[in-house]
Amino acid sequence: MEKNETKLKIKVDNLDLYYGDFQALKEVDMDIEENKVTALIGPSGCGKSTFIRTLNRMNDLIDDVTITGNITYDGTDIYGGYDVIELRKKIGMVFQKPNPFPMSVYDNVAYGPKTHGIKNKAQLDEIVERSLRGAALWEEIKDRLHKPALGISGGQQQRLCIARVLAVEPDVVLMDEPTSALDPISTSRIEDLIDDLKKNYTIVIVTHNMQQAGRISDSTSFFFEGVVIETGPTEEIFFNPRNKKTEDYISGRFG
Amino acid sequence: MIISAHTKKTKRQEQIAKGFIWFFVIFTIIILAWIVLYVLFRGFYFRNEVNYDVNDMKEQQIILNEDVEPVVFIVHPGVRLDDLTMQELRTIYTKARKEKWGPYTQQDLRVETFVLPPGTAFTDTVNGFIEGPEEINKFATTAADPQSMIGKVSSTRGAIGYIPASAAEDIGKKVKIASIRRISAVVHPSVKEIVNNVQMQELTPEQLEDIFRGEIENWREVGGIDLPVRPILPPKSLPYSVIHEKILPDGFIPEEVRQTDTLEEFCEAIKTTPGAVGLCFYNNIIETGEGLHIEEIRRVESGMNLTIHYLIEAPARSGAWGGISTIIINTFFLILFTLLFSTPIGVLGAIYLVEYARQGRLVKILRLGTETLAGIPSIVFGLFGSIFFVNMLGLGIGFISATLTVTMMILPTIIRTTEEALKAVPISFREGSLALGATKLQTIARVVIPAASPGILTGIILAVGRTVGETAVLIYTLGSNYELVRGPSSSARVLSLHLYNMFAEAISFDRTFATGAILIFIVLLVNYSTTKMIGRMNRMAGK
Repeated sequence: MEKNETKLKIKVDNLDLYYGDFQALKEVDMDIEENKVTALIGPSGCGKSTFIRTLNRMNDLIDDVTITGNITYDGTDIYGGYDVIELRKKIGMVFQKPNPFPMSVYDNVAYGPKTHGIKNKAQLDEIVERSLRGAALWEEIKDRLHKPALGISGGQQQRLCIARVLAVEPDVVLMDEPTSALDPISTSRIEDLIDDLKKNYTIVIVTHNMQQAGRISDSTSFFFEGVVIETGPTEEIFFNPRNKKTEDYISGRFG
Repeated sequence: MIISAHTKKTKRQEQIAKGFIWFFVIFTIIILAWIVLYVLFRGFYFRNEVNYDVNDMKEQQIILNEDVEPVVFIVHPGVRLDDLTMQELRTIYTKARKEKWGPYTQQDLRVETFVLPPGTAFTDTVNGFIEGPEEINKFATTAADPQSMIGKVSSTRGAIGYIPASAAEDIGKKVKIASIRRISAVVHPSVKEIVNNVQMQELTPEQLEDIFRGEIENWREVGGIDLPVRPILPPKSLPYSVIHEKILPDGFIPEEVRQTDTLEEFCEAIKTTPGAVGLCFYNNIIETGEGLHIEEIRRVESGMNLTIHYLIEAPARSGAWGGISTIIINTFFLILFTLLFSTPIGVLGAIYLVEYARQGRLVKILRLGTETLAGIPSIVFGLFGSIFFVNMLGLGIGFISATLTVTMMILPTIIRTTEEALKAVPISFREGSLALGATKLQTIARVVIPAASPGILTGIILAVGRTVGETAVLIYTLGSNYELVRGPSSSARVLSLHLYNMFAEAISFDRTFATGAILIFIVLLVNYSTTKMIGRMNRMAGK
């Protein structure tokens, strides 16, 4: 009954993805629900990063990529009817390595809104503050807004990148191993942040860290060699996996 | 602690390698420093040995005879003159065309001569002194009295005039006193004879002094033949007192120095005494000392080479006179216009190659092409420019042809360095921007180019460096007019070309080195400011 109440945000249907001749994703089906954290786990090279990058069409940047199948966001086919710029505004992305632009903290956060045509200084100030507060960075950084973003710590940089995504007011936030380059303290702050963000955003997170997936996600999908082996509520996947491979991976027997 | 044989061996090898590295490092530094410091030294300081018919003894107040008061020659303060020889003074006043100060001060400035009205004993004596066998030319202006002479000389650029010594006491800084050199050394012809392939060359002022002190007793000691020196002092009458004063300031006269009473006696003594040497006024020798040999005196002239005047004056006489102001401005114009043409094309081309073009075979060929062009000797570009722009397009030798040819030459450099700078921008910056919904153009303009700008700037600076130092291309396309460039088709000269021309035409080594020093300074300045700018950019970016 509970499942019927939640709204479906992104629906992936029979997705195949090829890099040239190499098939990286095979017949992937997935439902991503609104205001939930969906974790994608799996060994290196299993296709989870490739998958998350198809959701906001970042794979368009790579030549030789062929995608078949259907991905709908709010009922619209993102490879068909959706404009890529509008799509990326709605589905933001945080990358594995913090990648703030080589400009000031303020300009980093204001970059998205400015790009989308907001010029009013007061409005930008308000967006910057709201986004930084949203990313739990405001209190630490408010006195250093005009310092170079590359000068702040790695954990702060990653939260800045999250704030930068929040500034364009997205609907879905994709996170591709956002904590893999960070120390444990920064990691735990980002995890807390993800828990907060869940209220307003739908989150898809790729992670290598099983405990992390267990801590923060509502549902988990296990990828292996381009195939989704198992998907379901996190507790089920972790404590009661149906598939032998999932069990082996989660218990650390390979991967 | 036991150190194994192998470890010892490796350590020894490392020591030897270190030694080699240090040797080459020091060698390189010495060579570099030597070149730069040598050019800068020669650029700033000149030292030449010049032969004159007169000694380097200067007189400010010139006693002409017992009857009139001494005369003082004055020049406009703008004339950078320290002293004039008597012959030069006479040339200025008597030559049939108007002289310029160039030969004496390297200024491109007309000489305006002034005389006092004839009729008084003083004026007639002085005029006789300055005209010699000729007559004062028609260009001389007459000033009514010494006071108006001072006024006129101080207000006329390039003016020279004379006043009685009594009027010279309160001239202050309105006019400058020009010293005159008129004391020549005369020798008996035997001194200059060639014996056993030896002939005495010119003397230095110090040697002359030593001769009259009795410290040099044989001509052999100053590079001459084996002949005793017989110094003879000039007559004791008033005008010659200055020679006595200058040659023997302490009044000590060795016994072997012969004294004479009149000019005729002096000339006769020189003529009849083998090995004789004496000092006398140049004009007296020309007029009465027929058959006497005037010995040349070698004067060492040294001083500041690269002066502020050299920077701010316009060149004249192929660069022998004046400065290099127009040439410096031409250089900056060439740099400016070359960058104006090449930077947009180069940067946009590189952006296309890196960001837009499909990285296929065409781009590979393009890249190979730019790399090859970047390495081609500039003279080949000069040839191309001279055939294509100058002749085929009919632009003629001039500024526009040169600008376009240099643009062609530096374009590959700018494209290559910009490409590298763009490639060095992490892909994550582009992804970050695109993931926020920015378009490709927005991403390039707002993230990629700012991040790559230090690298792009470095490329532009390399291009500026090439432009400043370029000569071969410009010989065929820019010509050699040293005036300020007036329009696209006007021939011009830039610093490197000026240096080349002055050296090739043997105009002046001192000025060639001064130009070289300026070139070094411009390159230094450009590099320094770029380093500063790049440093600031990196700090802004937080690197």
